[in-house]
Amino acid sequence: MFDPEKLIRKGRPKGHIKEVLIRSLLAGTTYLIVLIAVLLFTRIIVDGAPAILSPKFPFVDLEFLTAKNETLHVFDDAQGTRHQLAASAYSRYVAEHQGENLYNEQTFSYSGGGIAGPIVGTALLTIGSILLALFFGVSAAIYLAEYAKQSPFIHAVRLAILNLAGIPSIVFGLFGFSVFVLAVPVLTSDPSDRSLLVIPLMIGNYAISFQGWNSSLMAGCATLACMILPVIITASEESLRAVPQGFRDASLAMGGTRWQTIRKCVLPYSLPGILTSSLLAITRVAGETAPIMFTAAVAAKDDLPWEGLSNPFGILSSQVQALPYHIYTLAARIPSSEYTQRAQYGSVLVFLILVATLSIVSMVLRARIRRKLKW
Amino acid sequence: MPDDANRNVPKSHRFRKQGFSFERLIRYFFASNAGLTIVILVLIIVFLLKEGLGFFPGYRRELETYRIAGLEFVDISRKNLTAHEQLVSLLNRAYYAEINGRSYQQLRRSEEAAALFNAYTDQTGPTKELILNSTQEGQEAQPAMLAVLRENYEKQRAKALANLPATPHLSAKEREEIISALRTRTPQATDDPALVTRLAEELASTQARHAEPLQAFRATIDSFESASADLGSAIMEMTESVTSTKEALQNADILEKDRRTLLAAANNVDDPAEREKLLAEAKAALAEKPDTETPMASLMERKPDCIRLHEELAKSSAAILPQLPKSLAQGEADRLLRTAKKAWPVFLSDLSAAPAKISSWTHTTPVPLSAAVVSFLTGRDWITGGEWQDFYGILPLATGSLMIALVALTIAIPVGIGSAIYVNQFASPREQAIVKPVIEFIQAIPSVVLGFIGILVFGTVLRELSVMDSLQWVPGFPIEERLNIFTAGCLLALMSIPTIFSLAEDALNNVPSAYAEASEALGASGIQTTFRVIIPAAFSGILAAVLLGLGRVIGETMVVLLVAGNRIKIPDFSAGFGVFFQPSHTLTGIIAQELGEVPLGSVHYRALFVVGILLFVVVLGINATAHRFVNRATK
Repeated sequence: MFDPEKLIRKGRPKGHIKEVLIRSLLAGTTYLIVLIAVLLFTRIIVDGAPAILSPKFPFVDLEFLTAKNETLHVFDDAQGTRHQLAASAYSRYVAEHQGENLYNEQTFSYSGGGIAGPIVGTALLTIGSILLALFFGVSAAIYLAEYAKQSPFIHAVRLAILNLAGIPSIVFGLFGFSVFVLAVPVLTSDPSDRSLLVIPLMIGNYAISFQGWNSSLMAGCATLACMILPVIITASEESLRAVPQGFRDASLAMGGTRWQTIRKCVLPYSLPGILTSSLLAITRVAGETAPIMFTAAVAAKDDLPWEGLSNPFGILSSQVQALPYHIYTLAARIPSSEYTQRAQYGSVLVFLILVATLSIVSMVLRARIRRKLKW
Repeated sequence: MPDDANRNVPKSHRFRKQGFSFERLIRYFFASNAGLTIVILVLIIVFLLKEGLGFFPGYRRELETYRIAGLEFVDISRKNLTAHEQLVSLLNRAYYAEINGRSYQQLRRSEEAAALFNAYTDQTGPTKELILNSTQEGQEAQPAMLAVLRENYEKQRAKALANLPATPHLSAKEREEIISALRTRTPQATDDPALVTRLAEELASTQARHAEPLQAFRATIDSFESASADLGSAIMEMTESVTSTKEALQNADILEKDRRTLLAAANNVDDPAEREKLLAEAKAALAEKPDTETPMASLMERKPDCIRLHEELAKSSAAILPQLPKSLAQGEADRLLRTAKKAWPVFLSDLSAAPAKISSWTHTTPVPLSAAVVSFLTGRDWITGGEWQDFYGILPLATGSLMIALVALTIAIPVGIGSAIYVNQFASPREQAIVKPVIEFIQAIPSVVLGFIGILVFGTVLRELSVMDSLQWVPGFPIEERLNIFTAGCLLALMSIPTIFSLAEDALNNVPSAYAEASEALGASGIQTTFRVIIPAAFSGILAAVLLGLGRVIGETMVVLLVAGNRIKIPDFSAGFGVFFQPSHTLTGIIAQELGEVPLGSVHYRALFVVGILLFVVVLGINATAHRFVNRATK
């Protein structure tokens, strides 16, 4: 007799074990990455936490975050007690305990005090470059999304964006160094010898001299802005295009000009998206070291950027410390010892927390925007 | 969208605006901002070329000086001398590796005992000094202070004893013996604990015992080492004369440059008196052409001498080869011996070719510009800031970059693509919600932080793993340097996994769902659908992901600068897999490391820009290929 049961295959299908093996292998690689990431963060948090936590309220070592960066002096006094003092505290100590002998004195560059200078420097660099990049990037994106048609110009722009996005950051460093540090025009009364071109103005003895901005905040911001311009343009164009065509059509139909349409009906709705994706660009800018190594960053600086300036614009042409460059200095230029650990792991943890917060915020915001904006 | 011009509005209509309206202005403003990207790209290319292209003429002139001054002539002999020294050092290393390998147990035991003792002295050293200082003769003893010091000493001792390193080769009893010796050790004690001394003596006697049968080998090495003494002293004498000629030539070059600057300045000055003054100065700066012929003639007189020395060295080296032992018992020592033996014929043929080279060399052969280009692209040395001669050959840097990329991609491709397949095809939505943000977050980690982790954590861990006895079967273990190609490659793999993952996942996502449905309808299992249908369909996208990952790896700077070890040398490929555990330098790292220290406009400075141009071209080439694949995939 015909038995329908026979047609149904029983038990595990052929090759089931192979299938399970492959699947678990793939799952294994995936969770390996997750595991490595978790291990990395745990290690940094465990090692860095003692540097920035304190047993008393508010449980954060504010001094580490707000004190200037100094050299660390380690020594024993005559009683054999070990002291670890930053340079300024050390000179005060020596002044107070005159005539006493200090033993086993050691100094550790960049490891004393806190990291206020690097934090402030990174903030200035980031803000400056993001403002520049947002201004030019969003404008460019508006052209690409709202005005542009197929033309050789647009093709060239798209090609340029694609290529800019792929250039290694160290090449941007070279570019920033040769252009912004050495070649951009400045208005000055005494042009430098290595100026490329001097155009005398007829006002006083001022001249426009193509001699560059030297290593300065300005040069660093400009270099970083060039670097993230493609990211900002791509992200902005995407969010501009996400605004439904109907909005524009409605506005144009009511007699609005193209600019009115963009200003009133497109930009307001795409702005959240633009800002969210620029948060991601911020994390990238804040973390870059290679482009600012020769254009803005300095390993040691006694003053905060705005201290000791004659005019407020002087801040733009002063060098700054930066957190990533500070970490590079701590990791590569000084020997590691138990006394440098606080500075090293502390800086890394603070930096990582900053970057993590930014990227988590941007992830959450992006998810919210996706949920909220359903046209 | 319809343009203004195409609208059907009469010319005279009042809505129709002519000329530059506000709307037009805004449009041009936005267009100019879009054009800014082109301007930046052009600026990058122009300025890289402007700073970089001057390199080749400058380098050509340096190479010309190198030839005219006779340094090149000396280098013919010097190269053979260096090869000889390397062979000697290989043989010596083989000799000591043999002895140490035979007395491995004793060596490790002695080292571990010494490590225990050192850990103790490092911790208590400063306090001990303080106690000794305050109890010295002539100092008044302060009992209260001394008591504090002693208490501190005890504290340090307790701390030291709590953190002693592991000693897998010492028995528990022996370890206990050392520890108890440390526990009762007074600050005044100067001699090492008894067991440490005894183990050191034991090691010395074992080494002496094992050296006994190797005496013949030792004698061979020594006689080989002394064979080059005459050649060495001849080279020393020649070096002195050629360096002074080179200096004279360089000074003349500098004066000539000054003169040109003065002349150019004189041309721009309108005031005749001022111009006369500048011209006079320029005339004064006119350098006498340094005399290169006389020192060269005396150098040429040495030719027969050099040839004779080479022939002698060749003869004695050929005689040494059969005297070497056939093989050695210890693996490492035998490997070194075999490497030396393999290099021997090359060394001999170099030696026999040298006389012909020496006699045919002339300082008048011109140096064409192409020689500078060839020397840059295929040079095996990147030597800068040296007293002898600077060379800018990128091979050591390029090999470093490529090998690190190879390690990184070997790890990142399977892991990145594997996890992309898993997340896209098999993972539940909840798993996706965990894995994707984590990987996105890895992408956000700044590269300098990864480099920091590499230096302080990963490098050390790897080093410790590599000296473990149970892992000695791994090729290349134990590693000598903490920071090497492998460490850098691992960290770069971590950096490029997110890039590869997200692009590959996109590519898998872009495969139309109809493909999978059709496959399943035909009765294919999940794995079959994935591997036979989805992946082939997404293949060019996945390839693009890999290429973009490669672009990222080659262009990455901070990690390799911190972790690759920064030794400018082509890795020693004879070491088998050990080649991946050697330190190296990279194209990106060299720019970051040296640009801050070179004088503006110097040949070295320009060389770094040429390296930048090369990176730019290579990375753009890789990316362009990748985008081709992406376009093919989306079509």
